[in-house]
Amino acid sequence: MNVPWVTLRIVAWNELADSVRSRRVLVIVLLYLACALWGTKLFVDTLRVLEGELAQTLGLAEPKKAGGVTASLWQSESFRRTLKKLLGDEELVTHLLGAPPLALFYGWLALTFTPLLVMLTASTRIAEEVASGSARFVMFRTTRSLWCLGKFAGQALQIFGALLISAAGTWVLGLIHMQTFEPLAAMLHMLGYACKAWLYALPFLGVALAVSQWMSSPNLAVVVGLMVMFVMSLVRWIGRFAEGSDTAALWQTVALLTPSAYRHHLWWNDLSRLAPAVLLLGILTTAYLLAGHTRFGRRDL
Amino acid sequence: MTAALRFRGVTKSYGRRRALDGLDWTVPAGTVFGLVGSNGAGKTTAMAVAVGLLRADGGEIDLLGEGPFRAEKHAGRVTLLPQDAGFPPHARVEELLRFYSRLQGAGEDSVEGLLDWVHLTDRRRSAVRTLSHGMRRRLAIAQAFLGAPQLVLLDEPLNGLDPREAARVRELIRQRRGRQTIVISSHILSDIEALCDEVAFIERGRCVRQDSIERLTHRAQRVTYRLRGAAPLSALQAILPDVQWSVKGDELTATFGEPLTTEELNRRALPVFLAAGVGILEIKRGSDLEGEYLRAAQEAIGTAQGAPSETR
Repeated sequence: MNVPWVTLRIVAWNELADSVRSRRVLVIVLLYLACALWGTKLFVDTLRVLEGELAQTLGLAEPKKAGGVTASLWQSESFRRTLKKLLGDEELVTHLLGAPPLALFYGWLALTFTPLLVMLTASTRIAEEVASGSARFVMFRTTRSLWCLGKFAGQALQIFGALLISAAGTWVLGLIHMQTFEPLAAMLHMLGYACKAWLYALPFLGVALAVSQWMSSPNLAVVVGLMVMFVMSLVRWIGRFAEGSDTAALWQTVALLTPSAYRHHLWWNDLSRLAPAVLLLGILTTAYLLAGHTRFGRRDL
Repeated sequence: MTAALRFRGVTKSYGRRRALDGLDWTVPAGTVFGLVGSNGAGKTTAMAVAVGLLRADGGEIDLLGEGPFRAEKHAGRVTLLPQDAGFPPHARVEELLRFYSRLQGAGEDSVEGLLDWVHLTDRRRSAVRTLSHGMRRRLAIAQAFLGAPQLVLLDEPLNGLDPREAARVRELIRQRRGRQTIVISSHILSDIEALCDEVAFIERGRCVRQDSIERLTHRAQRVTYRLRGAAPLSALQAILPDVQWSVKGDELTATFGEPLTTEELNRRALPVFLAAGVGILEIKRGSDLEGEYLRAAQEAIGTAQGAPSETR
């Protein structure tokens, strides 16, 4: 048998190649890119309308492109003070206001929608191989755990690719439609957010593949994956609403087992805040995958 | 003789249905081994258990003398042609074989030869979903021979193949005789008889009989002549008094023991037929496997108490 990392590489590469060959995955990735571009366009257009209204109110010349007034607004002290009051985290506001607006929008978009993309594309991957029986051609050639890890690695690469493509699309749109657009700064920030969104997506990938390891039907795996995602969001919401109640501690503890508990930390760039969040996301990813493997490692194929 | 595969009291149930009911089964290394049984007898389950696709509920399995299947030890050394498994539909033929070959650590040297051997060279870049059923079956056979596996398990290898391809697969198996241990599960007993050195009859999850084809069909002790005309029994008994003769329709069967051999029997009996003016339409060594199997299966079904119902 190969050494583990060679097997991982072989399975991951095959997973990537299969994703490219499979029209369904390509369609979903393209759909995600289209949504990112459409969202960005919407953001730019909305910004232009708002800036137009603001310019009229202030008696300024109406900008032809979006972003001109925003840059000034971004740097105004009164706006910062308002945001600080709204978010309740002064440091974070200062930190975020250092980033180009479009990059922030991209960061929000990526952090919000990548988990959904992951759940749609990855939760079928093992279940469909079990359902079709194609897993039976593989399972006497390598260990089940290495095969699953290889699938994870391949899917993780695929997600990273999708994030980079959507970042590039957003960046190009910004370049065309934004009045004040700093290409290099925006690119660097978008790359940073793409990486963070990727790290944030890994535990969701862990959930998707865990569900996929339990199921024998790909369609059921998608449904269960989306349901798990919904329950995770619900736990987080209940945790917020239960603040101050007797059960608050319980809900907040349960919420710590979901990736969204660490999403807030990913907006930061300094390692003291980022590293613990990344570490915990890594632990969650491993835990979810292992939860799936407790069944897959022993199930009949 | 060392065993390539040994089952001792292996059990496997699907819910309340028992597929393997204390299966004892040994495959000698280097043989072409036949596995025969009715539908649901447990053949497919036995093969899947052997390579770890299914988990046995109990009993002992020894693969290549190294205990039960573990991918760390057996990957690339043991392969399987599963019965009903499908390939990833978007995968391309050659890429898929290369992937499997790399995965089992065998390199890719054997891929070209196998593609040629299963007549898929011209479809090497085709997606699996575009292949016919027979082509997919050939691809499935090819993947089982990737690299140099010591033990190859083939579950119904000739199913779905046209006569030309079936003959080609038979030839391949013959070529591999002695180099690899090959286990073939099949309902086509003539194939088993023609290809295998040894055979096991499995019924209701148990091995009801295992022996060499030679012994099972009494090849060394039985010759059947199909004749045109009445058999000259008294003349035959006079020159071959130790041979037991029996007549059934136009067939005359001679059953004998050592030191008499088939060659010696023919040397002495054939002139008697010719002298009596009896036409010899066919000479057949031993009995046919089908008869032996049906007899063994009938005995097993007759004696089974609380036997399992049909499983996969």
